[in-house]
Amino acid sequence: MSIMQYNGSAVVAMVGKNCVAIAADKRLGQRALTVDMDFQKVFPVTDRTYVGLPGLATDVKTLSDRFRMRVNLYRHREERVIEPETFANMVSQIMYERRFGPYFVEPVVAGLDKKNKPFICGMDLLGCLNYANDFVVSGTASDNLFGMCESLWEPDLEPEELFETISQCLLNAVDRDAVSGWGAVVHIITPDGVITRDLKCRMD
Amino acid sequence: MDRYSFSLTTFAPNGKLLQIEHALAAVGNGSTSVGIKAANGVVVATEKKTGSSLIDVSSLEHMAMVCNSIGMVYSGMGPDFRVLVSSARKMAQRYIQTYKEDPPVRILVKELASIMQEFTQSGGVRPFGVSLLLAGVDDRGPNLYQVDPSGSYFPWKATAIGKNMINSKTFLEKRFNSDMELEDAVHTAILTLKEGIEGQMTEESIDIGVISTLPAAQSDGKAQPTFKRLSPAEIRDYLSNIA
Amino acid sequence: MRTATAVAAPIEAHGHNHWSPYVDNGGTTLAIAGEDYVLVASDTRQSDGYAINSRYEPKAFVLSNNAVLGTSGCVADAKRLCEVLEQRAQLYQHKHDRQISTPALARLLSNTMYNRRMLPYYVFPVLAGLDSEGRGAAYAYDAIGSMERVTNSCFGSAETLIQPFLDNQVARNNQRGADPERLLTRQEALKIAIDAFTSATERDIYTGDYLEIFIIDAAGVHKETRELKHD
Repeated sequence: MSIMQYNGSAVVAMVGKNCVAIAADKRLGQRALTVDMDFQKVFPVTDRTYVGLPGLATDVKTLSDRFRMRVNLYRHREERVIEPETFANMVSQIMYERRFGPYFVEPVVAGLDKKNKPFICGMDLLGCLNYANDFVVSGTASDNLFGMCESLWEPDLEPEELFETISQCLLNAVDRDAVSGWGAVVHIITPDGVITRDLKCRMD
Repeated sequence: MDRYSFSLTTFAPNGKLLQIEHALAAVGNGSTSVGIKAANGVVVATEKKTGSSLIDVSSLEHMAMVCNSIGMVYSGMGPDFRVLVSSARKMAQRYIQTYKEDPPVRILVKELASIMQEFTQSGGVRPFGVSLLLAGVDDRGPNLYQVDPSGSYFPWKATAIGKNMINSKTFLEKRFNSDMELEDAVHTAILTLKEGIEGQMTEESIDIGVISTLPAAQSDGKAQPTFKRLSPAEIRDYLSNIA
Repeated sequence: MRTATAVAAPIEAHGHNHWSPYVDNGGTTLAIAGEDYVLVASDTRQSDGYAINSRYEPKAFVLSNNAVLGTSGCVADAKRLCEVLEQRAQLYQHKHDRQISTPALARLLSNTMYNRRMLPYYVFPVLAGLDSEGRGAAYAYDAIGSMERVTNSCFGSAETLIQPFLDNQVARNNQRGADPERLLTRQEALKIAIDAFTSATERDIYTGDYLEIFIIDAAGVHKETRELKHD
């Protein structure tokens, strides 16, 4: 079993009509043993940019703290809020800095830019960016998520439709993955604000 | 010799750091540079002073592009300028490597100024004998900054540095208005230099750099504002329009 | 995703050169059972690693006018398994003078596979037919003959992509207020099977080219062919 599978995780981001969504499961495990059912894997970066960090939990913690520090420094230095694409490039750079001793995390960035244009992207543990205009998936349930998203996603979903779509994709994907699930959280980022909902799901 | 002029880290009793004053004097001896911020861009211009008619002026570079969206020009000591250009370019590339976009002008100016400040406080070094004008375009539009040997920096609508700074600034105060378009600003910059130039002004004796904001229609795509040094032919066109 | 090495016992030939009696030829098969029909769908790509051996090599086999065997895994084993099953079904016919029922055939397949417990057929089959009451019946197996009657199942290279989708759309998992017992109509099942494969073809390199769908009902076996992406 790869170290990427040690704690178990599932993260997905989707583009809608003038909105984006990012969702993740809540499980923290040590291989087959479940340790925590309320582990945070999605972190707010700004009011309209979120980052999902599936992978090795210790690196999730380290990275979320580093990102927060770098984003705060950026805000103070530049007196402006970081854009999602700029943040993604920063994340990519931080990941590649550890090219030969990587963080075992495959981040997902989702947000609205200053023109309210949706932005999502994923990357591998070395920071190789993968831009998408539909959806990105990451974590131990990524194959399952690919199958769900590829079937359920369609263009121009309104926020509520996007919520239902991303929720169904995540729930059904984690139900077929033994090491992710145990609760889920969804953030819908719209120009008017972020809607955050916790999902009930199978706890087995 | 003055007791307080030998070490940088020593204040004179009157609260001054004399080396900085001397560096400013070096700037004051340097050829004049002007910068004007127009509504749709920025122009910087400088006089290329040569000690001898035998020098091949076409190879003199008084102006440098730092990154696509930022250029800079100086008054003072040429060799010091080259060191700062090299630092500025490295800073810009480091920023681009991190964020995949050009640095905002203010960020670059701050970093450059902090290097210049460091050289007023470190041991075994002297301050830079130059003042800089940085012209660039970013999210906030056109920007024009001056950086001094002390590490102070100022945003300007229009300004001048170097030998003829006082007269040039007086001239600019009369001629400048903030609705000015870039073309107009180039003319004004040339006229400002012309006021103080010794001898004939030709396309060989001045350097002009411009950068313009993109038309709104273009600003969405990947097109970027680009700092450009005018070619002798382009400068000649401007000069003939003036004369 | 599952690979051949999962069940293979590698035999060492030259120290570093591992040889395996099994190959995974990729491809995906699914089955959906309804009230009075059952559907088997599989793509027709056959590959070996990054090479495509064939763009049209069906892996669902019609056993009778009331039974279709969908396979995935190692094609050689699948074909052999199919032959053995056909032979044993034929022997049943001779002995009992009637066609073997679907539940009996399902049991027979399980036994056939378990007979090879120590050197299994590297095949993950789904058997589809109508049961004695005329209801759609699908049976899913692992490589050593464990079987289960199911309303939906998917095996093969795109199994991880398609199975959650079937859970959601056929079994209606996570759909609040939906009746999980309601079986799909034929049109619904057909649509979902096609959707599942067009989606899986986007992301799974081993699934694609053509889609063969067998629908079994009281009238017999009916086949439909669709084109999938060839890349």
